[in-house]
Amino acid sequence: MMRSWSVIAAMVLVLGGLSAVAGYEMAPPRAAAWREIAWPFPRDGWPAGRAFRCGAAECGDDVEVYLRPKLGFCNCDGGVADDDEVDRVADVDMIGPRFVPLKAGDVVDVADMPGRIRVYDLEMPKGKRIAIGIAVSHRCDLMAVAAQGRGDASGVQRATLKFLESREIRAWMIVAMEGH
Amino acid sequence: MGGRVTAVCCTLVLVLLANGASAQQKIGDPPEASNMRLVGTNDLQARSAYQPTIHHQGDRWIAYIGHHGGTDDIPDPVNPMTGKAEPNGTSIVDVTDPAHPKYLRHIPGQEGKYESGGAQMVRICDGKDLPKGDRNAVYMLRTFGSEAHEIWNVADPANPAFVTRIGGLKDTHKSFWECGTGIAFLVSGAPDWRTRRMTQVYDLSDPANPVKIRDFGLPGQEPGATGAVPTELHGPISTGPTGNRVYFGYGTNKGGFLQIVDRDKLLNGPKEPTPDNLKFPEIARMPLSAMNGAHTVFPLPGMPIAEFAHDKDGKTRDIVMIVDEAIQNECGEARQMVWFADVTTEARPMLISSYTVPEASGAFCERGGRFGSHSSNESMAPVYYKKLAFIAFFNAGVRAIDIRDPYHPKEVGYFIPSITAATDKRCVTIDGKDRCKVAIQTNNVETDERGYIYAVDRANTGLHILELTGAAGAIAGLP
Repeated sequence: MMRSWSVIAAMVLVLGGLSAVAGYEMAPPRAAAWREIAWPFPRDGWPAGRAFRCGAAECGDDVEVYLRPKLGFCNCDGGVADDDEVDRVADVDMIGPRFVPLKAGDVVDVADMPGRIRVYDLEMPKGKRIAIGIAVSHRCDLMAVAAQGRGDASGVQRATLKFLESREIRAWMIVAMEGH
Repeated sequence: MGGRVTAVCCTLVLVLLANGASAQQKIGDPPEASNMRLVGTNDLQARSAYQPTIHHQGDRWIAYIGHHGGTDDIPDPVNPMTGKAEPNGTSIVDVTDPAHPKYLRHIPGQEGKYESGGAQMVRICDGKDLPKGDRNAVYMLRTFGSEAHEIWNVADPANPAFVTRIGGLKDTHKSFWECGTGIAFLVSGAPDWRTRRMTQVYDLSDPANPVKIRDFGLPGQEPGATGAVPTELHGPISTGPTGNRVYFGYGTNKGGFLQIVDRDKLLNGPKEPTPDNLKFPEIARMPLSAMNGAHTVFPLPGMPIAEFAHDKDGKTRDIVMIVDEAIQNECGEARQMVWFADVTTEARPMLISSYTVPEASGAFCERGGRFGSHSSNESMAPVYYKKLAFIAFFNAGVRAIDIRDPYHPKEVGYFIPSITAATDKRCVTIDGKDRCKVAIQTNNVETDERGYIYAVDRANTGLHILELTGAAGAIAGLP
């Protein structure tokens, strides 16, 4: 009888541990896990945006996200048209010019703005990385988001989207899009 | 003492506020002008206007004017000639008597508002000039919204006849058509290309039977490419077989550059859109600041420069005038203006000068709508060519620039039309709410061989026909 209880207790502990690990992996990165870093790119046609980094301990792997509004850069009626538009506008080219889409993109909604998201293999001097390009629009304006990480594509994408859902970032995006 | 300072400050604030308020146009205000005079107007049925092209047709002068799509408030304005609501398309106006322009016909365009509809671009060639054209025809090449290019026979401008259509596109814009050869550089969006706008080169020498020569763009834009996508095309201008150059302007208001292309290599070189084949006809590419783009790139080859007259080399220079397009209302972006490039040594083109309207001269950032350049006249008729250029500057109207010394361009005249009840508002978002102002938005400008200047308004105010006076007129040898 005592032995049965030991087995049950062990199983509960193992299952609990596994659930905790799974729960941790699926949980949104805590806002505190992300810290703002300096905009790492040289000046181009658009003003600099905001950049954030989340370490491996908190996000499962190093992930960086760059986001900025591009006002007056979108089809006012049609919004983000297709994956080619994501390739053009999402700022993945700021990270590196050589990127190849892993597959067709998907529709996405960020801060109540519709658009598209696409995942890329990014060729960098120190090896391949995963990049995420997101373009969402409101009226004639665009919010461009690029992210990069060393982890698997789904992990980088999940971490990026969870970060964009955080209250602070949503609020900033709305203000940056001139109060949309 | 403190009270006196406060009083001075308050007075200053009041003066500044009064100046800001007075900068805004009101219905009934007279136009603002220097060395330019209004000759005639037409309301163009209160449609947002883009490219005007003026054509000498028999003993008449006809203005063909492309339109953007309608507005949120009035998507399809009523054509008083038919009594029907029609999506904005092409206006045809008899301007033989410029003081009394006569509206002849509106050809509807694609349904859609603002840049999503209408029929923005228009070029005209006589059938007798085209190698295989009908000698009695006058052909109008126009865009049909974003989805097609169309050709019409406008020999009877009041009764245009549809000829043909090149369709299936995802965007179109500012095309160029050589009347002497029929070669057309159509700004298109081929569905499989990675960019919204690239070039489709067509032989339209027989306008009823278009023959495609090739697709052209920048390496990275072609189908199947990966990685960064270069800035999209805005529009080309060709110097034909004699000059053998095509100047392409890329990047409307950002990341712009001028591309100089060997026309013969473009037409007769390898046509498969591979990176090598796309690079083959390119002679040079001159980048602008990332904060500026190229809307119009207007060639001015072989300009004698008075200052260099006694130099052993380089007395004449090949110049390209580059006009950026302002896009944001109320100065919400870097200034878009006019640049002059010396392309005499083609492989090493260099910017040599610039021109902008001084903002403080009219408090233009506060007037409402866009302030900055958009486009220039493109007529190469002797009356103004290489002497004066006319720039559409949105809420600063039309500006006349003396370009005889392109190293030192100088403004010699301007005309800012009055607004009317038809002039549409322009808004910016402040704290989540629209704040709107009404201002003239002179969008495009063209000239004719007689010396008349045709300015059209993006904010639905219509067509303004102008002439030069005083010192500006003297530069062109006008009485």
